[in-house]
Amino acid sequence: MISVQEIIAIAFMACGLLFLVISAVGMLRLPDFYSRLHVSGNSETFGLMLSLLGLAIYEGFTLTAVKLIMIFIFVFIGNPIGTHILSKAAYKTGHPMYVKETKKEE
Amino acid sequence: MKVREIFKDKSIVGSPVLHFVKLVVIMMVMWLLLSGKFEAKFLIYGIGTALIGAYICLPLMILDGVSGEKKYFAFNFNPVKLLGYLIWLAWQLILANIEVAKAVVSPVLQIGPQVVKFRVNMDNPMALTMLANSITLTPGTVTMNVTDDGIYEVHALTDGTANGIIAGDMQVKVAKLFNEDTNFEILEVVPEGANDVFNEMKKDAEEKEEVR
Repeated sequence: MISVQEIIAIAFMACGLLFLVISAVGMLRLPDFYSRLHVSGNSETFGLMLSLLGLAIYEGFTLTAVKLIMIFIFVFIGNPIGTHILSKAAYKTGHPMYVKETKKEE
Repeated sequence: MKVREIFKDKSIVGSPVLHFVKLVVIMMVMWLLLSGKFEAKFLIYGIGTALIGAYICLPLMILDGVSGEKKYFAFNFNPVKLLGYLIWLAWQLILANIEVAKAVVSPVLQIGPQVVKFRVNMDNPMALTMLANSITLTPGTVTMNVTDDGIYEVHALTDGTANGIIAGDMQVKVAKLFNEDTNFEILEVVPEGANDVFNEMKKDAEEKEEVR
């Protein structure tokens, strides 16, 4: 018999997996480096965070759960820094950017 | 910089002794959570380690302000306000994530990449870092560059996320968290004419100037 706690944990982990899949789809579909960075850096962070939260809920109120939450916090702080450094390096070296054609005003 | 000098330094915002105690408490909590042992022997070890660690780390936690007049302690913010901000940020994260996921999965890619430049007037380097990190953490927006004058260059994936930056909820929230100036200024959106909201704002501003 599955308890309520397990159902919530499974729901969180399933949502996390969904966002990881979406980030993989975006990686293949998006046109240039900068827009790929959005899905690889951010959607993946969100997916990982949801999965970790699900694991922490599955674990219950123990020290292991606290350590999982700590990993969560380090991902929360560290992942955006990596994304920022990659985009900064690309921007400063003048990597070409995909731009949608805009309507010209007449 | 030596620790003794820090305790006498008047340019640091807040009391240095209080900052030291705060750092010891943070390290002690980390010790307790990671060790998981609550016997007297381990507690004494923990307090000793936290004191030595805080003594060594305190100079690293003192950051120079942007204007160079003041110095700031890295963890000098109200924990209750921080918690409120984090909850708001988590909600924004969910909303933005769903929007980006929709844009990516839809049969025709609904993206309009653009670069938004804006300036904030914040002195605390921790506030600048937290704003940059929050913007990058929110899907659909990545901080590409932050200059020393507080000019941010943000790459936005869709129109919706770019409008979020232009509306500037996040800038105001971070400034309030650190008790800083809440004013900010949108400088430009590249490519020209990419964002309808920004163009309307610009037109309104020009009309106001003409009236004057």
